[in-house]
Amino acid sequence: MDDKRGRFEAEVLPHLDAAYRFARWLSHSPGDADDVVQEAMLRAFRGFDALRGSDVKAWLLAIVRNCHATAVKQQQRRAFVPLPEEHDPRDGYAMIATTPDPESASIRGDDARSLERLMSALPEEQREVLVLREIEDLDYRAIATVTNVPIGTVMSRLARARAALKTRWLREVEGELRGVR
Amino acid sequence: MGCAEALRVQAYFDAEVDAVSAADIERHVEHCAECRALLQDLEQTRTAIRRDLTPGRAPPELHARIRHALDQEPAVNTPRPDRWGRTSWRTRPFWLGALGGIGSAALAASLAFLVLSPSMPNPLLDDLLAAHVRSLMPSHLVDVVSTDQHTVKPWFAGHTDVSPVVADFAQQGYRLIGGRADYLDHQRSAVVVYQHGAHVINVFSWSAGRGSLPGNATRSGYHLAFWKAGDLEYCAVSDTGWDELLGLVRLLKDLSSRDGRE
Repeated sequence: MDDKRGRFEAEVLPHLDAAYRFARWLSHSPGDADDVVQEAMLRAFRGFDALRGSDVKAWLLAIVRNCHATAVKQQQRRAFVPLPEEHDPRDGYAMIATTPDPESASIRGDDARSLERLMSALPEEQREVLVLREIEDLDYRAIATVTNVPIGTVMSRLARARAALKTRWLREVEGELRGVR
Repeated sequence: MGCAEALRVQAYFDAEVDAVSAADIERHVEHCAECRALLQDLEQTRTAIRRDLTPGRAPPELHARIRHALDQEPAVNTPRPDRWGRTSWRTRPFWLGALGGIGSAALAASLAFLVLSPSMPNPLLDDLLAAHVRSLMPSHLVDVVSTDQHTVKPWFAGHTDVSPVVADFAQQGYRLIGGRADYLDHQRSAVVVYQHGAHVINVFSWSAGRGSLPGNATRSGYHLAFWKAGDLEYCAVSDTGWDELLGLVRLLKDLSSRDGRE
């Protein structure tokens, strides 16, 4: 294995799961996410020589985001816009925890599914900052790099995303609980 | 969220503030009920997301696909001494990298095209012509759609190895449509796409090599015009007439010499 490939495997491939998760949150179908991630990895490899000591994870996720945008544009140009696969049974399973305890797993599963649905319903610009902050644990600067907007915009989008999610979540979950009591 | 401090409180929650600001915000939160509630909300949302949405992992098949795709990639970006030579273009189809996992139909189509065309002596002509024909397949023409040179040119910086001249010549009948990254003999080339009437003109560019550039040629009804400007080599490919094609070439050459650097 040559040096570039070796360095790429050591520095970039460890972020493959993050790239995949992010792509899954961006695209509506698992197959699309696979294609986006593969294309992103190839572009990352080709551009790897130009990368110097910056945040590898943010750099890779920015490429994933670009590839997703390109794929969406190509689909639109083909006049083939798939409907969001909200009821696709495959959709979302990769995001859900598997816990050893079946009972709590089932309760968690319900929560996770509705939370995931609520997050999927957020506008993309809000969803992506929320995912990058809470799931990928990026700081504001890195999120600004990935999404290509100023930090102030990251902050306001994040605030809007959290407020919207909180409101909808309260309405769904805690509203149900209160109804039961 | 009415309190003017809400964004600072959020930044505090996200550990984005220094110690002095943190103390300041804590004092504020003590006497602002709204921001206290906000902090609670932020905490609850984070807990729910991190508890319920445990990180997914890339499936093993995807790992395998990516490793396989990487195996097809050249490890070094520097030009080879044998550029455009026999071995490099025969051993690895150049479009594999460019296509990635997407567009296997286009791949099949360009393969069919290559198989059906008569053998050509110069592999560079093959490559350019196949890339041009492939670009005409649905959804493969441009990666960045823009009629603005200030959008297209910076895009190349992140996606290709070269930075060609880009301009919109709509006044002269050559409308800038966008740009694309393409693979030519182990090198990423920048492609600027113009539209002239109903015809697409692809302007390929790559770092000049040691070999000599082919003369202008016509293959399968497509004209290919070559020229060199500074340290870049260019080829414009289209099914327009020669006059129209060379008109654009003249404009681009003028632009290069005006820029002075290329």
